[in-house]
Amino acid sequence: MMSSRVVKTAGRIITFLAGLQMFAGAGLAQAPFYQGKTITMIVSTAPGGTGDLRVKAMTPVLRKHIPGNPAIAMEYMDGGGGRKAANYLFRNSRPDGLTVGALSGGIVSLEIMRESGVMYDLDKFIYLGAPESGGHYIIYTRKELGLSSIEKLRAASGLRIGAQSVGHVSYVAGRLFAYFLGLKDPKFIAGYSAPEVDAALLRGELDARANLTTSMLRRNPEWVEKSLMDFHSIMEVPLGAKHPRFPTVPEIETFAKSEQEKKVLAVWRVFRLVGSPYMLPPATPKDKVDILQDAMRKTLKDAEFHREYKKLVGDDVDPLMPEELSKAIREIPRDPEVIEMLRTLSGAGPLPPRS
Amino acid sequence: MEMSLLDAAIKGLTNILHLKVFLAMMVGVGIGTFTAVAPQGLGMPLVYAILLPVVVRWEPVTGMALLIGASSVSAICAAYLPILFGIPGGSGSQATVLDGYPMGKRGEGRRALGASFMAGGMGCLVGTFTLALAIPAAQPLIYLMGAPELFVVVLWGLSMVAVLAGRRPIKGLIAAAFGLLIATVGQQGQSGIMRFVFDQPYLLDGIPLSIIALALFGIPSALDLALTKIGVEQQPAPLKGSLLDGVKDTLREWWLVLRCSFIGVWVGIVPGIGSQVVDWLAYGHAAQTSKDARNFGKGDVRGVIAPESANDAKDGGDLVTTLLLGFPQGVVTALFIVALLAWGYLPGPEMVKKNLDIVYSVVWIQGISGVIGTLVGFVLAAQLAKLAEVRYSVMVPIIFIFVLMGAFSVNRDPIDLLVVVVFGIIGYLMRRFGYPRPAMILGLVLGGLMETYLYRSMASYGFSWLARPSVIVLLSLAAVSFLLTMRARLKRSPKAQVA
Repeated sequence: MMSSRVVKTAGRIITFLAGLQMFAGAGLAQAPFYQGKTITMIVSTAPGGTGDLRVKAMTPVLRKHIPGNPAIAMEYMDGGGGRKAANYLFRNSRPDGLTVGALSGGIVSLEIMRESGVMYDLDKFIYLGAPESGGHYIIYTRKELGLSSIEKLRAASGLRIGAQSVGHVSYVAGRLFAYFLGLKDPKFIAGYSAPEVDAALLRGELDARANLTTSMLRRNPEWVEKSLMDFHSIMEVPLGAKHPRFPTVPEIETFAKSEQEKKVLAVWRVFRLVGSPYMLPPATPKDKVDILQDAMRKTLKDAEFHREYKKLVGDDVDPLMPEELSKAIREIPRDPEVIEMLRTLSGAGPLPPRS
Repeated sequence: MEMSLLDAAIKGLTNILHLKVFLAMMVGVGIGTFTAVAPQGLGMPLVYAILLPVVVRWEPVTGMALLIGASSVSAICAAYLPILFGIPGGSGSQATVLDGYPMGKRGEGRRALGASFMAGGMGCLVGTFTLALAIPAAQPLIYLMGAPELFVVVLWGLSMVAVLAGRRPIKGLIAAAFGLLIATVGQQGQSGIMRFVFDQPYLLDGIPLSIIALALFGIPSALDLALTKIGVEQQPAPLKGSLLDGVKDTLREWWLVLRCSFIGVWVGIVPGIGSQVVDWLAYGHAAQTSKDARNFGKGDVRGVIAPESANDAKDGGDLVTTLLLGFPQGVVTALFIVALLAWGYLPGPEMVKKNLDIVYSVVWIQGISGVIGTLVGFVLAAQLAKLAEVRYSVMVPIIFIFVLMGAFSVNRDPIDLLVVVVFGIIGYLMRRFGYPRPAMILGLVLGGLMETYLYRSMASYGFSWLARPSVIVLLSLAAVSFLLTMRARLKRSPKAQVA
């Protein structure tokens, strides 16, 4: 009798504990996945640069919108124009939803144009969106040269066009402008840093440069206000979005002579349109993807993020939502002839003759 | 200008005479000191990146006090690593190891620290003073120095190899050539050609100079200690000399301090030379102009005074270009510009015209925080110098850890550790067989710059740049300097050596 009472009591205790465990388990399963976790943000720029500031503006707000509010730790991996970080995200990071890439838009053009050192596949990344996209480019010459019209510009020979390194977006923009505007024997002098190009232009060491309109207006507003430079052509990204400060400057596509040339510009515009994309490694589970994409949508619309971004970066947010970014990348034209022409125009060799 | 210089200077001072500005400066000084003495890995760029989102919400002058306070002090206090551990400090404090470490090893660490802090403080004041005076005149000076002029200056710097090679000119040339070769690794900026990259993404941007310098000097120092001292319970040399001895040395060498400070300011002002060169230029100049350079490389206090005064004066020069032209000279000044823009100021001619008092507030903060930093350095030096009493068996693993941590902190890439091992072995072999490592560093630092400026000069001007008056003047000065050096070497005792 005693033993059966003990057994019954033991049985009740065990049943009670099992029930407790069941409820406790159910309670734990309801806690968000990201609670108590840390997301590693792979950043493809060095700490302190504009790219880093863009990420810093975003991470506190993003954290707020991810259920569970995980910590976000930044891991800097600059080098190779973004290839190092992109390669790492593609090949070495675990697809568990705890690693996010904050990469530079240059990785898109590097892969499409089959540059060396690329070990990732753009179509396999999972995209979360981008805080900024687009950005107009403009070419201008020193006022002292007196090249106040396209005709005078075309008549001038051996214009020295400065830029950062070969392959840099300002270098490629300069080459495209020179090709489409039909400049005579232009000389492309690369290897400057951004401020050095401006100084070289003012010193007379260079004659022209292509630059992002926002950067130029931010650093040297007097060039426009006091007409210290002659502005010749603009590259609208996206096409059709007129820049309010340069309403009468002709768009580069007006100088295109063939459909192929227009396609080259279209590809280039898409490269610029993707901005600084955020992405996940391939094969990240769908439930984690959904959580992060939703959080990113909320972040990109959050007024707090817009304020912080403007304060730190000095530009307005011009976001691409996850689906827009995915679509943009998926729809990049991959016509081999067009890509090959863009490679030639982007490279260090002489510009091809125009038909 | 809307305000006279004197009015702006006075208003600039009154802007900072508030308790919260002073407190912010002290906090900045504290952060800068911690960055300098903490194990390598923090670095001022990272500190600025962390502080920036916070300080942009503050009042501008208070925020500036924090940022400038941190960066001006960090440079002054960074000398303890080269002197006590034989590890190059941040860029600008590499040459200090050549004479600072031998002084530390023979027990004169306090004297070396005293000299470095005093020289750094004086250099900071010279830089600040130059910043204050440069406001009306800097812009034309900066635009005078184009690619041809910079090429000649860099060539002049390379001629310092003759000084740094000591009595082994052939080995010095070989070491410099090796440095030039290493400088070619990576994607060439002007042509896009990949040189010695072997399809490795790590090598696309070349091998980081800071890692090479760490390995080249830090590893051989530690290996030397380990291979000669391990197993033998030898005590380090007893401490002798005092901080005050170092102060007296610096005051006695006031003319050297002034000359090297102007080298530092000038490197800071002119865009394109780079902070990695300033200490080597100053060190080479000191050895070149010394009547008796026999002890350079063996623990001559002038070998500490020269680079430290130049390194700390450079900050004033950096601010000239940053504030007056809006050109950042590095990551720290680029971030400072970001902060200025967030506060509503546009660095450059507009800021000089409309906010001259704010420019002078920066000048005052730079000077005052430099003085405070020097005092903090002296307070810490007494404690830091005791590190020299630590047994070699403890010191060797500490040096290895510092070197590896410092290397890993650059890119957080494990391959950097492999680079440290490779260049550590190279550095040890160079030292063992008498190839001067400073010559290699000079070749490495200046090689890339020479190529860039020669390319730009030829691309922009053809051969006509050789006829520019400024180029002719600079070439003549460089040639005279080189000939005087060679003549002095021929007259000097055969035992004279550097490095």
